[in-house]
Amino acid sequence: MAARRVAITGLGIISPLGLNLTENWNSLRAGRCAIGPIESVDCATLRFQNGAEVRGYDPLEHFEGGKDAQIDRFAQFSVVAAREALRDSGLEFTPALREQTAVICGSSVGGQMAIEMGYQDLYLKNRGRVHPLTIPKTMSNAGASHIAMDLGLSGPAYTVSTACSSANHAIGQAFHMVRGGHVEMAVTGGSEANFAFGFLKAWEAMRVIAPDTCRPFSKDRRGLILGEGGAILILEPFEAAKARGAKIYAEICGFAMTSDAHHLTQPTVEGPSRAMRGALRDGGLAPEEIGYINAHGTGTPGNDPVETRAIRAVFCKHANKVAVSSTKSMHGHALGAAGALEAVATILALHHGELPPTVNYTEPDPECDLDYIPNQTRAVQVEAAISNSFAFGGLNAVLAFRAAH
Amino acid sequence: MADAVAEKVIVTLASVKRIPADKITIETNLQELGIDSLDVFTLLFELENAFQISIPDDDVRSIRTVNDIVVGVKKLIPATPPDKSVGSATPAD
Repeated sequence: MAARRVAITGLGIISPLGLNLTENWNSLRAGRCAIGPIESVDCATLRFQNGAEVRGYDPLEHFEGGKDAQIDRFAQFSVVAAREALRDSGLEFTPALREQTAVICGSSVGGQMAIEMGYQDLYLKNRGRVHPLTIPKTMSNAGASHIAMDLGLSGPAYTVSTACSSANHAIGQAFHMVRGGHVEMAVTGGSEANFAFGFLKAWEAMRVIAPDTCRPFSKDRRGLILGEGGAILILEPFEAAKARGAKIYAEICGFAMTSDAHHLTQPTVEGPSRAMRGALRDGGLAPEEIGYINAHGTGTPGNDPVETRAIRAVFCKHANKVAVSSTKSMHGHALGAAGALEAVATILALHHGELPPTVNYTEPDPECDLDYIPNQTRAVQVEAAISNSFAFGGLNAVLAFRAAH
Repeated sequence: MADAVAEKVIVTLASVKRIPADKITIETNLQELGIDSLDVFTLLFELENAFQISIPDDDVRSIRTVNDIVVGVKKLIPATPPDKSVGSATPAD
């Protein structure tokens, strides 16, 4: 089968920036920073106190009959986002289509909160037992499985776990499956919920968390800020979407992944560069066609200059014209969900003709010398964009999108 | 004692299913409440915590009604000494 164009026809998201798509877009375009004191965990003995948490979320509004206690927060986020995305797509499944729909999700740590709750029961509270659903709550594929069960989708379903690139890897694989005709539809994205004391302590030990806020590409940046949430995209063949009169947000047209094969935590210029070039090639895009890059942009001293050099290596002279932002400055670093949250931001930027900013930007850094859309949303209709995700372990995944008009 | 046990079982069950306790009586059949196998695991866990008992797997298979649970729990309360670890107050509790 010849390769097909692939449309994005539905979006769903729950993040620190809002509990649904509208709230998220309003926050992104307003440049609202959702970073603040962590409320769900006692941080008195941590070196950092700030994070970007999903606030105002009530599981009982989404899960009945005690199901809220059977599904870890990260998997709840995936279901909540998937339901919204499906509603948004206006799609009605036939029995045949249900069998031909893939569910591919990304998550870095899966049910971290369920694990830690069990440990607390065992080691802190000296209880002789843990919650009986600790195993199915903990498994990283719970997000994909619960979406499949909730929406009745019986095609291929699995979870990709590649740390901070998880969602980009998941979305990229789903895109290739739809494009190649392996499935007729895909529900894809990622989710993460990692505000658990032990996990925060582990990040503290890595010494990469900012004590204040996330300031990507700014000279005074001091590290990343953890986030959480979930986002889901509905992918379908472009022609099928047009035929049913669906709203098409954008086209997903390219994906590439590379490995640095270098170091567990130190990024290279070469690995991300090859991933960006690969995504452009896969999408039939010239570098000059890219008007916006949603950067990995963690705000760590290590990532931002290296990503800047990688962008320069790929885009050469055009690097001075391309607009780059890190929306992590607003929603934090949602790890395995980051690529999904950022894909939604990128797709909406193409759809609305407005580029979300890098907030908390105060001071140019000679080592980070691109146009980072500092602090203010920019009204520009760009024709194509890429979204970068780079993971610990040196795993790089880049998605490319085109405006649908 | 019987009433207190039944009341606690009903409150625990209501909490697991997120329904009002007054929807449940001693005669209520668990199937009517839409209890599935995962709910049963959760319910047993909560009952073990609530009554400080340990419920053997074999005792679980014959449960059909709330009364079956109450009868089973009452048998275990005097028969089972609390877990050595359970109830030892720690600062985290």
